[in-house]
Amino acid sequence: MMRRAPFVCGVFVASVLLGAAGARAAEEPPLIRLGYGVAAEEQLWLMMARPDLAPNQGKRYRLKPIVFQVIPERFQAYVAGELDGGTAPGLSVIFARAQGVDVKAVASICQEAAGKDWFSTTYMAKDDGPIKTVKDLKGGTIAVVGIKTATDLWARAALLRAGLVPDKDVKLVPMAFPAVGPAVRSDKVGMGTFVEPFYSAEKAKGGLRPLFTAVEAVGYDHELLDLFFGEKFLKAHPDAVRGFLADYVAATGYYLANREKARRDIHKAGFVRTPLEIYLKNADWRRDFHGRVDVASLKKLAAFMLEKLNWLEKPVNVDEMVDQSFLPR
Amino acid sequence: MAGAAGRVSGRPRALLRVLAGLRRYALPALALIAWELLARSGRFSPILFPSLVNIAREFGGLVTHGDRLAEAWYSLYRALGGFALAAAAGVLIGTLMGRSTLAAGLFEPLFSGTYPVPKIALFPLFVFVFGIGSLSKVALVFLECLYPIVINTYYGTRAVNRVLVWSARNMGATPGQILRKVVVPATAPFIFAGFRVALPIAMIVVIITEMIGSADGLGYMVIYAFASFQTARVLAAVVAIALLGLALDGILVAVRNRLVFWEKLESYYA
Repeated sequence: MMRRAPFVCGVFVASVLLGAAGARAAEEPPLIRLGYGVAAEEQLWLMMARPDLAPNQGKRYRLKPIVFQVIPERFQAYVAGELDGGTAPGLSVIFARAQGVDVKAVASICQEAAGKDWFSTTYMAKDDGPIKTVKDLKGGTIAVVGIKTATDLWARAALLRAGLVPDKDVKLVPMAFPAVGPAVRSDKVGMGTFVEPFYSAEKAKGGLRPLFTAVEAVGYDHELLDLFFGEKFLKAHPDAVRGFLADYVAATGYYLANREKARRDIHKAGFVRTPLEIYLKNADWRRDFHGRVDVASLKKLAAFMLEKLNWLEKPVNVDEMVDQSFLPR
Repeated sequence: MAGAAGRVSGRPRALLRVLAGLRRYALPALALIAWELLARSGRFSPILFPSLVNIAREFGGLVTHGDRLAEAWYSLYRALGGFALAAAAGVLIGTLMGRSTLAAGLFEPLFSGTYPVPKIALFPLFVFVFGIGSLSKVALVFLECLYPIVINTYYGTRAVNRVLVWSARNMGATPGQILRKVVVPATAPFIFAGFRVALPIAMIVVIITEMIGSADGLGYMVIYAFASFQTARVLAAVVAIALLGLALDGILVAVRNRLVFWEKLESYYA
């Protein structure tokens, strides 16, 4: 009897500890495993750099950000059950939905918009070269950042507008952004895609001339990057998503109101490697204050991908693809 | 009665022969069955585990569409172009190194020192020197293939039995004749071993470079399908690449067995 006492005590202590751990786990808010990228996602980076701007973090949700260099890998990780949501260009969400991936775009990160206040991805050629208009690209090559990316879509849209046939009249090759400037200058490609900070850096050097922007290529303002979540996660943890998006919209508001301070914080946290003085001067894409998705522009993009580019085998229902009900009202 | 018994015992023997012949396909068949079962289990998304039926359908589309076959042709001529140049230069350099201590002293540190360098990392540089088209890819294939061919040829040439060389010399053979009639035939198995190492490297390098920066080729096709999550098409292209590699190796072994007839290679193609 005396020998059993320590055993009973041990079991009791273990039960109490396990019970406490279980209770703590039950109290913990849902974990959001979020795949994010390395360009143009300032509001999201700000939420990570400045947790004080995301008061719901730790209360209504916990955040586990996971960085990805390439878009398709983000969706593969999602399909493999390693992510609950992430960031992606609108057209990648369309591709994913076309292949039956159960994700929904829930908020906008940034948009390609016309106007002097915003940056729009720009295509440039050599100033003293033979390419003065898009039509002059016939027989040449355009550098885009990746096949079936937004940069590929805009280049193809511009070629079609100019009466040229992509792949037949003009080749499109993938090339990393830092390599595009030197490739255009050394005539390895006729025209290249430029985003910030490479656009400002190359413009400052001189010798390159813009031919068109992303907005001019398709003819309308449109979604560039969106936040997506898995449908199952949205159903299982609606309050966590609402809490996360409330913080996200608050961070967007802070970023838009205090752009320089926010950029300094983002830079200090290591999300941007461009020298600070250049980063602070860079023009920015348009970001919706409320994180609202421009659904009409996604519909136009989906139709263009289906009808003009043959990138989709069947139409994608964009209304079903976007769910903005989790955004703060 | 004895004849009947012989017929009965003959049938199991024939069956055993058939089974022994099928044994080599057992593991791939099991892997395919396991794949299909996993794909149909519903536990995995078709984006991760497309069914073999879908892969086969995509593969059918690949081999029946002229434009998609053209992609295979682009990859093939880049791989074979670079490989052929590396074969010519590699055999020449390897033989020189094996026959001349001066050449060996010049080239050996260069090849030994740079062998472990991942040449694929030089591709962006090659693009700037040779352009974004085929030339940069052919040049990289050449560089990657050169090493195994040179090294195999070099050690093969050094391993030639000296007695054979002395005998030829005693019989009045000129240095050119010794090279042609003794050294090259004796080194041929090593040269072909180098070729067999280099050929798959040529295919791998071409596919990777086409995936990084190209507007055509099988590597481009893979990345094109991957960008829109068409995994079945990606895997169909991978199957095509594997079959192409297998066919090229089969041809190489056949050529080797014809030329090096005194030392035929036991292989699964035989």
